[in-house]
Amino acid sequence: MSKAKNNASPAKRKCGPRLMDRLRPYLMIAPCIAFLVVFTLYPVVNMIYLSFFEYDLLTPKKFVGLNNYYRLFFVNVDFWEAFKHTFYYTVAEVVLLITLGLLLAMWVRKSTFLNAIAQRVMFLPHLVAMLTVAYVFQWLMDDRSGLFNAVLNFFHLPGLNWLNSSKTALMSVVIVSIWKNVGYYALILLSSLKAIPAEIYEAADLDDARPLLKFFKITVPMLSPQIFFLLVTITMGSFKVFESIRVLTGGGPGSSTDVLVYYIYRYAISNMKYGYACAAGTILFVILMVFMVVYFRLPGKRVHYQ
Amino acid sequence: MSEIVFKNICKSFGDVKVIENLDLTLKDGEFTVLVGASGCGKTTLLRMIAGIGPATSGEIFMDGEEISDIPPGKRGVAMVFQNYAIYPTMTVRGNIDFGLKNKKVPKAERDRLVQEVAETVGLTPYLDRKPSALSGGQRQRVALARAMVKKPKVFLMDEPLSNLDAKLRGSMRSELIELHNRLKTSFVYVTHDQAEAMSMADTIILMDAGRIMQQASPEVIYNDPDNIFTARFIGTPPMNICRLKDGETYLGYRPEKVFFSTEKTDALYQRKAKILTREMLGSETLYKVQILEPDFAEDKGLSVMTKSFETRYMPGEMLNICVRREHLYFFNKERNRIRKGDVPDIETYYRMAEGTV
Repeated sequence: MSKAKNNASPAKRKCGPRLMDRLRPYLMIAPCIAFLVVFTLYPVVNMIYLSFFEYDLLTPKKFVGLNNYYRLFFVNVDFWEAFKHTFYYTVAEVVLLITLGLLLAMWVRKSTFLNAIAQRVMFLPHLVAMLTVAYVFQWLMDDRSGLFNAVLNFFHLPGLNWLNSSKTALMSVVIVSIWKNVGYYALILLSSLKAIPAEIYEAADLDDARPLLKFFKITVPMLSPQIFFLLVTITMGSFKVFESIRVLTGGGPGSSTDVLVYYIYRYAISNMKYGYACAAGTILFVILMVFMVVYFRLPGKRVHYQ
Repeated sequence: MSEIVFKNICKSFGDVKVIENLDLTLKDGEFTVLVGASGCGKTTLLRMIAGIGPATSGEIFMDGEEISDIPPGKRGVAMVFQNYAIYPTMTVRGNIDFGLKNKKVPKAERDRLVQEVAETVGLTPYLDRKPSALSGGQRQRVALARAMVKKPKVFLMDEPLSNLDAKLRGSMRSELIELHNRLKTSFVYVTHDQAEAMSMADTIILMDAGRIMQQASPEVIYNDPDNIFTARFIGTPPMNICRLKDGETYLGYRPEKVFFSTEKTDALYQRKAKILTREMLGSETLYKVQILEPDFAEDKGLSVMTKSFETRYMPGEMLNICVRREHLYFFNKERNRIRKGDVPDIETYYRMAEGTV
């Protein structure tokens, strides 16, 4: 190294070319960084900044310090309600999507003609726009003319109010989301499931392992990277649920399906309390950060990468 | 103690019949090697014993008991797979332990057995490692340890050495022979490598297209082959096969039994020949030789391989190839061996093979 430096001509040793050498990598990644700064970093910083102001987009903003946060946590009770709903929704989504996804994947695991069709059918709901799905389910879940209640009544069971009762509304939204997404997640698991060599299961057979043990000691550990990926993406997605709530229930009945993003949307767009909404957004941001830190610490060695 | 008997076994994959009406007995305590080209059905047979690839029809007995309905884990067999099939998510200890745990062996006993078997195969320092942190040879040992710890009645091995480099393969080969001598249990070993089969087996079962071509000890299978397939499968280079002048009968002789001469000798079989190529292997030399006047006119340009300690012959040289009477084999037009007593007059064949020089 040092020899090469000494050989360089005195003219070239001036700052010009060396500066260029140093700058080149940064120039290379500049477009990417610019994109990140404009569309990710700036909005986040701006959100945090605006959360200290009272701002309605029309009149000049007014600095209020931590007042927005104070109102969020201690004055308005609806934030905690929204947080609670979001949390329940997320737990239900994570548990049900991963469990059902795994079961579906196991079910269509064998490469047969019928399973190939089943796989495609499973994936179909993912291709349909959430808006369409929501409208279809609004009909299905209608308490008078809906299909679900018609089936329940056929078996002489009492119909449910589905989306129109504060007791069942959140559950109904979860059902819609599961229906739409489970095939997609099952497909992710299926591809990894099929990559597990058959010999490993044969070896387990020779080791006298019962089916349930094979599932928990071989299948689940072998799928752990994918399950972990699902855990992270489903948590993120569920905490940010909005579209289905907006169309299906509008946060109601009452505030029974009011979730964080819908809450933010309500305050920002309907109530024009922009600064307050930014404070809520900041809290959501922090919650997700905490979740991710915990996630990446907790499973640690339990996630097995090949 | 475990004699394995196959009775009238058939196996098809879809429309393809791999094995048809096969009968076979594997003797207890022996090192049996199933050998044959890929697709001949040897692994299929092994998987039947293990219970992970059942026969389409027929019966399999172990110690006189029909085992078709016994699940793999209850048969008292252990298998070493070609690509080891060790559990990647478990540690070495977990891999060896897994079968014992499922058999509900108490913890203290399990630890002792794992320790013992790890000692035997030299894995003690690696017990708490994951398989991904092991070399190919070490993974092979994990697979072996996992099989050994169960103390099975039968060891099944499906080309266990084929993923190792040549040197390691050689040493593992002798370790397996030692292991068999020590344990005295039955080993059923599948390979496509005839040298591996010859070096390890008590009994070789040579298969072709789902049929058993010959079942015998390495000495017998080498010196007394039943058919041309066996004669050419075992031994490198394979046995030379030439048609006799009737065009229907085949004459065979091993390359290492041929000697060269420039004048007439007392050998029964003598033919004028020309050396085509010479391959110096070290202790011996391979010559490819063209027989100038083949017995059967259509075999023009017939060449044979010879193996000799002599290195002085060079390509282009003309000489006689000679084989003594006791080293000649005859095969009929079904390519099966003609032995003394099979035909009224074996001397006819010797007369046909007699020297023309």
